[in-house]
Amino acid sequence: MSPAAVKVDRLEKTLGKNRVLRGISLEASSGEIFGLLGPNGAGKTTTLRIICTLLTPDAGSVEVLGFDTRAAPEEVRRRVGVVTAEIGVYARLSARENIVYFAELSGVRDGELDRRVDAVIDRLDMGSFASQRAESLSSGQKQKVAIARAIVHDPEILMFDEPTSNLDVLASREIRDFMVESRGRGKSVIFSTHVLHDAERLCDRVTILHQGTVVASGTTAEVRGSHRDLEDAFLELVG
Amino acid sequence: MNALGIVFRKELREILRDRRTLIAIAMAALATPAVLIVISQVSAKTATQAYTVGYSGDIPTGLGILLSATSLKLEHVDDPATAAKKQVDLGLVFQATQIDEYYDPTRQSAQIADTRLQAVLGEYNAAKAAAALREKGVDPAVLTPLPLRAHPLSSVVKAAGNAFLSFFLPYILITMVFTGGLSAALDASAGERERKTLEALLLTPASRSRILVGKILAVTTISLVSAVAAITSMLLTLWQLPLIGTRVTLSPLAAAVMVWLAILLAGTFSSLTLALGTLAKNFRQGQAFSTPLYFITIFPASIILFIPDFNPSLAYYLIPILNAVLVLRDAIVQNSVAWAALGVTTASLVATGLVCWFATLRLFTRETLLIRS
Repeated sequence: MSPAAVKVDRLEKTLGKNRVLRGISLEASSGEIFGLLGPNGAGKTTTLRIICTLLTPDAGSVEVLGFDTRAAPEEVRRRVGVVTAEIGVYARLSARENIVYFAELSGVRDGELDRRVDAVIDRLDMGSFASQRAESLSSGQKQKVAIARAIVHDPEILMFDEPTSNLDVLASREIRDFMVESRGRGKSVIFSTHVLHDAERLCDRVTILHQGTVVASGTTAEVRGSHRDLEDAFLELVG
Repeated sequence: MNALGIVFRKELREILRDRRTLIAIAMAALATPAVLIVISQVSAKTATQAYTVGYSGDIPTGLGILLSATSLKLEHVDDPATAAKKQVDLGLVFQATQIDEYYDPTRQSAQIADTRLQAVLGEYNAAKAAAALREKGVDPAVLTPLPLRAHPLSSVVKAAGNAFLSFFLPYILITMVFTGGLSAALDASAGERERKTLEALLLTPASRSRILVGKILAVTTISLVSAVAAITSMLLTLWQLPLIGTRVTLSPLAAAVMVWLAILLAGTFSSLTLALGTLAKNFRQGQAFSTPLYFITIFPASIILFIPDFNPSLAYYLIPILNAVLVLRDAIVQNSVAWAALGVTTASLVATGLVCWFATLRLFTRETLLIRS
């Protein structure tokens, strides 16, 4: 296994009266798809939000490519791209203007801006609707805008939080293909989902969370063990 | 370009594509002239309108001509007191030694007719008294042993125009600065949460304080544009429309003070409405939060209407918004600036804006901002 791109150590977090994370640890490496699995409420989104510095941990630590999330949050955000199920876009801007806005905020320099934006539009096959206002786009097209804005600054780490939950079959397929392609480019891909079938097909390694604790961790084959599939293994673990 | 400039440019672009904001600015520019034109037409009509006087008895010689000359139309009735309730505007019973007047003070037409009658009778009685004295060889000047000669130091008509502006301008300024940027402020705060772009925005390396300042500057700009559009159209209308017998104009000093206050108010209101929008879950809730604020902001302008000679101590200039109204009123009416008052006002509004900005930043950096969304 290559050195950890993301290293989470004994993470704890309470939101309101809810103790969401109870000392979880995990590591994700470059060039792999790492699955963060668990039922709704297990703590997956909170973990991802702490990794990308939107939330601060109560205890424990997170390092992203050597940067501590507490000490250098801006350096971390510069190196992370996040795609969530929420495909909110600025409706009165075009798809391209949406991408340009996030590229500029992510520090892509003027000289590089057009080339980067054109490249990402080309890569996600968005040419036919790039100049359309986002309010007129379909859900699948908006999801592409959401992906484009997350990757336009070419981050080393990509995090997908339930990215296919609001999408149809075709759009979901494109997302999965994109994750595989990103792994091929040497990125560290963290895929949070409760759809274990998707995880089993895509992930090199997985960690299963349940009620804020890690109940299993390892390669997909290791976690599946002697069970028919990951779902059976999961049900036995959390049953 | 740094994050502040990037956010500012993007927010302005979105605002200029937002029909709600454009309509608000257009309304701001058109509403005031429309109101002034209606006021002008109503006042012109009132000045020339004839009112009916129902009378009984014999009209004294010469008085009928005077009444007709002031558009008081005489009409003989059997019972002036009854007629004055509805049929005519005034009822008069002419007797040998006095005139009995009947009118209903709740009717505006009766009030105007009464005022005209008083003026006409005043002149008539004075002329009659003067003639009687002359007949007896007495100089009519004995009736006014201490005559008053007024020497106005400035134009009375101009002063009336300034008094009108001193109420109307602060009211328009505050209303337009507040409402002109409100939609944009809520869209840039509650709107981010409602359309689910907030998380993506906060995931960028840009610092939240710069993002916030970019938003505040964009909202401030649009508030100023709205206020300037409304005030320019108002001044152009007043210049073209001799509403109170003169063309009302704003002195360069008052205009400069107004622009300065508009900038301060716009910055303060932008921070405040962005704070409210950040507290709100969606645009509609943001509007509900902002409505009470609107009434609070226009209250100080109303004070000038009800207490035109309100001359408070310097401490009053610490009260935000009221201080801006007072400084602008003084600049218009007296065409001068009390620098101490302007300094206190500036410090007060800047401090208020900073407190609001800090509060918004605190809200903007709280984890609950994301959890609640």
